[in-house]
Amino acid sequence: MKHNRIHQQFLELIHRHQSIIHKVCFIYAKNSSDREDLQQEIILQLWKSYPSFKGDAAFSTWMYRVALNTAINQTRRPGLVVDSTSTPDVPYDPADSYHLSEEIQILYRAISRLRKIEKAVILLWLEERSYEEIAASIGITVKNVSVKLVRTKEKLAEIITKLQ
Amino acid sequence: MDLEHMKTAWKKEKSFEDKSLTEADIKAFLHKKSRDISRLFSVGLTFDIAYKGIIGLSFLGILLLFSGNQHIILMVAAILLGLICTIIYQWRLIKRVPGTGASDPVIRTTLENKVLFYHEHYIKSLYVGALSNSLIILSGMFYYLYFKYGEIRPFQWDDYLVLAVAIVIGFFVSAIAQRAQFNFQIKQLESCLQEIDEDTITTHTIREQQNKKRQMIRLLLLAIICGLLVLAFLIFR
Repeated sequence: MKHNRIHQQFLELIHRHQSIIHKVCFIYAKNSSDREDLQQEIILQLWKSYPSFKGDAAFSTWMYRVALNTAINQTRRPGLVVDSTSTPDVPYDPADSYHLSEEIQILYRAISRLRKIEKAVILLWLEERSYEEIAASIGITVKNVSVKLVRTKEKLAEIITKLQ
Repeated sequence: MDLEHMKTAWKKEKSFEDKSLTEADIKAFLHKKSRDISRLFSVGLTFDIAYKGIIGLSFLGILLLFSGNQHIILMVAAILLGLICTIIYQWRLIKRVPGTGASDPVIRTTLENKVLFYHEHYIKSLYVGALSNSLIILSGMFYYLYFKYGEIRPFQWDDYLVLAVAIVIGFFVSAIAQRAQFNFQIKQLESCLQEIDEDTITTHTIREQQNKKRQMIRLLLLAIICGLLVLAFLIFR
């Protein structure tokens, strides 16, 4: 009975905050199949971690942390390798269900060339999360966040300029 | 390039707000299996425990077939004891697999836990698992000799050579294949750790520990293979 209530509560919360999953998958997945795998993994990890969510932070903050943690910990098996760092150009997949503006499509192409941690830093910056929050999510100091953010933004701006 | 302009576009983007995932979709995802490396560790260990159980049964059969041969009884007893010890070791290891469920997951900690578990524990277990293949070859040889000759005849040098080569190949094929697969995946996690903080003490410590563990494992393997060969020589001479 109690389990059913928690299950239902979880489903409602995920349904309500699903934009976080969409954003993380948008940043980390390379195509629709990748996106579905990542969505599944994030939801599974959220469900496993849900009993330990104490409500100290906002649900959306906690959800970001779990989702990013899952995306970064995703590994590809041998034979299915497409390393984002070595991909020369990742064209935007029009088959994707997102109907994005041209600017966001350019942003997607640029972000897809960043490394995994850089992607996390940029996503949290786009979402206007505080330096303290970014530092706590990644496990680095606030000073380090500021250095990483400056470097990543420079890199991103450079890529966008090349793409435009 | 003005990134603030991009940030504004990001905030205005409405497609992320679409509720494309229904509650039924979310429910369906909950019934699927995780592809996380932690689950691969657990599945690998569980599979190997089951495999060792089957090997144990096959050696019990050998014990019954050669119940009059003291040498073989001693050898099989030693193997069964070894199997029980490795099963206990792997069973305990399953409980130490870095899991999920942290209340406040930190990316660096999760990555470090997985990388350290692999280098400190799982690699050893891969070699212990690879030994299962050598034992299967050994037990197969016993059954073959029993059903063909009804006894174990004294071995010639070339018999030892063939047996040793088969055991070593069985061991290394399994160990190399599994290590290659896991190394490929662990390197992806390690590159994330390096990206987080490239030249820190933590990363250096992990590398130093990895090198020490590798040396220890090589020595342990050499000792196990030598031990098996000496045991076989003493029994069949």
